[in-house]
Amino acid sequence: MKPALTMNQAMAEAARCLLCHDAPCAAGCPASTAPDVFIRKLRFRNLKGAAKVIKERNVMGGVCAVVCPTCSLCAAGCTAAGLDEPIDIGALQRFIVEHAWEMGFSPLSAGKPNGLKVAIVGSGPAGLSCAAELARAGYQAMVFERLSAPGGMLRHAIPDHRLSPAFLERELEDIRALGVRFRLETAIRTQQDLDSLREQGFGAVFLATGAWRCATLDLPGRPREGVTDALTFLMGAKERPKELRHELAGKDVLVVGGGDTAMDAAVTASLAGARDVFILYRRSFAQMPGSPEEKTLAMDAGVHFMILTQPVGFETRGDRVTGLRVVRTRLGEPDSGGRRRPLPISGTEHSLPADLVVEAIGLSPDTSIREIRSLRTDEAGRIQVTAGQRAAADLPVFAGGDAVRGASVVAKAVCDGKAAAAAIRKELGR
Amino acid sequence: MTRYDRLQTTFCGVKFENPVMLSSSPVSNTGEMVGRAFDAGFGGVVFKTIGVGREKIVHPGPRMAGYDYHSDRLVGLQNVEQISDRPMADNMADLSYLKKNWPEKVVVSSIMGFTKDEWRDLAKASEDVGADMLELNFSCPHMTVEGSGMKVSHAQALVGEFTAEVKKVTGLPVLAKLTPNITDITETARYAAEGGADGLTAINTVMAISGVGLDDYTPRPNVAGKGAMSGYSGPAVKPIGLRCVAQLAQADSLGLPVSGCGGIETWIDAAEYLLLGAGTLQITTGVIHYGYRIVEDILEGLDFFLAERGLHGLDQVVGKALPNLVPTDQFDLSSQGVADYDLDRCVGCGQCHIVCQDAGGQCLTWDDADRRPVMHEERCLGCMICSFVCPVATPPMITYRVVPGKPEILPPPSV
Repeated sequence: MKPALTMNQAMAEAARCLLCHDAPCAAGCPASTAPDVFIRKLRFRNLKGAAKVIKERNVMGGVCAVVCPTCSLCAAGCTAAGLDEPIDIGALQRFIVEHAWEMGFSPLSAGKPNGLKVAIVGSGPAGLSCAAELARAGYQAMVFERLSAPGGMLRHAIPDHRLSPAFLERELEDIRALGVRFRLETAIRTQQDLDSLREQGFGAVFLATGAWRCATLDLPGRPREGVTDALTFLMGAKERPKELRHELAGKDVLVVGGGDTAMDAAVTASLAGARDVFILYRRSFAQMPGSPEEKTLAMDAGVHFMILTQPVGFETRGDRVTGLRVVRTRLGEPDSGGRRRPLPISGTEHSLPADLVVEAIGLSPDTSIREIRSLRTDEAGRIQVTAGQRAAADLPVFAGGDAVRGASVVAKAVCDGKAAAAAIRKELGR
Repeated sequence: MTRYDRLQTTFCGVKFENPVMLSSSPVSNTGEMVGRAFDAGFGGVVFKTIGVGREKIVHPGPRMAGYDYHSDRLVGLQNVEQISDRPMADNMADLSYLKKNWPEKVVVSSIMGFTKDEWRDLAKASEDVGADMLELNFSCPHMTVEGSGMKVSHAQALVGEFTAEVKKVTGLPVLAKLTPNITDITETARYAAEGGADGLTAINTVMAISGVGLDDYTPRPNVAGKGAMSGYSGPAVKPIGLRCVAQLAQADSLGLPVSGCGGIETWIDAAEYLLLGAGTLQITTGVIHYGYRIVEDILEGLDFFLAERGLHGLDQVVGKALPNLVPTDQFDLSSQGVADYDLDRCVGCGQCHIVCQDAGGQCLTWDDADRRPVMHEERCLGCMICSFVCPVATPPMITYRVVPGKPEILPPPSV
């Protein structure tokens, strides 16, 4: 992780804040973390008050500070940009949260027990924020997690160089301190699972199962070895970093895709000691969905950006990949999504040798959740919700986060978790 | 080292290659230190105050505390440092060393006696080792020894008596260094003048408490569990220093040159002191913050200031702002104005709106869609607080515009 700000650096950055009358940063935070308020509190040396605002509004305030693409969220409308540069809101938020940790100050407390139980399925940011909100209101919040450790993508997919396991663990500690409990290695997928929860006395269920399905290249002849989807690659890197270093030493890696996951995979490969790491993207740099912060991180790590380059086939020896056939593109008219469409340029097809190809071309929700009655999903597998994150008309089932939105940012997952908690409290009357 | 002909000056009959001196403090503690300051460009020194050594001088530990504002360090500095703790003979030897090696620089011996005999002895000894001038320290606000420093200024007659004693034994020009911690600094100055002082130095440090420890309930600096009211200096006291220098320079029938000090860091600060009547300048806290090299830009900046106005010497600057300094009852109250907004340069923070609502005339409303203030000039008091908080400050986007015949604006009773 980047080094944290010192107190002096934080105060200097806070002093740059213009303390706007109608703070655009506040409007830009999906989790309503109120950067205008916590920066003002920091400016006037009320560090406990600042930490209280962050944590009360966003129990994932530490993690968001570290992983949020602030350039496109809170900092996007920062008035200070009119003078020089936007305020580094993420760095200030992190400073405040870590300072509170160092001081041993915990602004949140569990509510008076109301005897009601809620099941949260998935322990990513959506599930955690819902669970913490409910625990603060006196509910017994039980989080069911199919994997062996809580945190979802934050734990298993976001690389350590962006979010250290210790940092995440510290934030989880705050949530556990509220009485939120975890039942690990317990998947809730089917109607039967759901019925069982009801029998165990859970008055409502919040589905926050994330988007764990990785799209793969729709090209003929995908070999069995040397091609992996980004999520498998990133999870492996976190679980077995030593093995990865061994595997990648002196090797060349092609990462296909232009989003944050592609950047994460490329930087991870580079830091693990790969010789050359390429990002292949069929549009141009400006169309890449990756956040500016992540793109910069990748460039700083020495990743080569191969823009306007589209894979058209695998090159193999036996069952093993040896590279990709690619073609150069130019940008045509905008597609339905508004981005200019890549058009292959004839006669430019050529080979790019590689020892490993990582597919980072999109994440979507796991379709196995469809087995639950009354749940509706769209063609991308996203759970359909109505107001208050309600996912089933006839059952107290709610959903949020990437399972509803598709792959999105942590702050929006937090927002969904909070909204679901509010709706559940309304539904259950406490 | 660059020489600036325009900055040469004569003060109390002594020639200075430039008017910027170290003031009497830790920055002028030894001959070796002052030698480096001279090499850096200082035109003179008021050496660390010398006593005869009858009373043992011990500096409290720690002896200073910094005062910060947000992330700006050392906006002010509080100290409980005493006069020199070195043997009188060593200090005298250093004065001699400085005059021998830097004959063109001005060496002022700052002295503090506890009796008339001591004042005379110190003056005589300083003259004997070649000091160019004397500065009588009547103003250190935190001497741990009774009957010294600022306490002399508070028993004002002593200022005159001690000055007269010194003048009896020396032909050197004598400056009286005055404290601002008194109702009217010109009264002390009159006693000094009656005693025969040739000039005045103002200001010594301002009596202050720079902070209180919230864990130990101890004012700063924390000297073994106790704090004390003591001398405060640096940029934070510049407005007080400017006021005192101007009071002395304007005082009827005083007619003494003034060496100005208090918070000088830049040539702009220096120019302000000169314009309000200071003939020479003294610096300590700026050096404590930045080192002796700070003098380079003060000198060069002053030289540019004179050059761009076609001025040939400091006499064309010193005191030139005094005719424009009047008691408030001499203001022309018929001239009124409003804040003028160059909205093309506005970044949209709305701080002007907030302060106008909470501290001004409520003349600014806020356009939520455009994120810009909307001026209702008929309610503008012209107080200009909006311009003080506006971040678009160089050059300012909000300026004062005189409105001839502007009607009086009186807020109606609240309903």
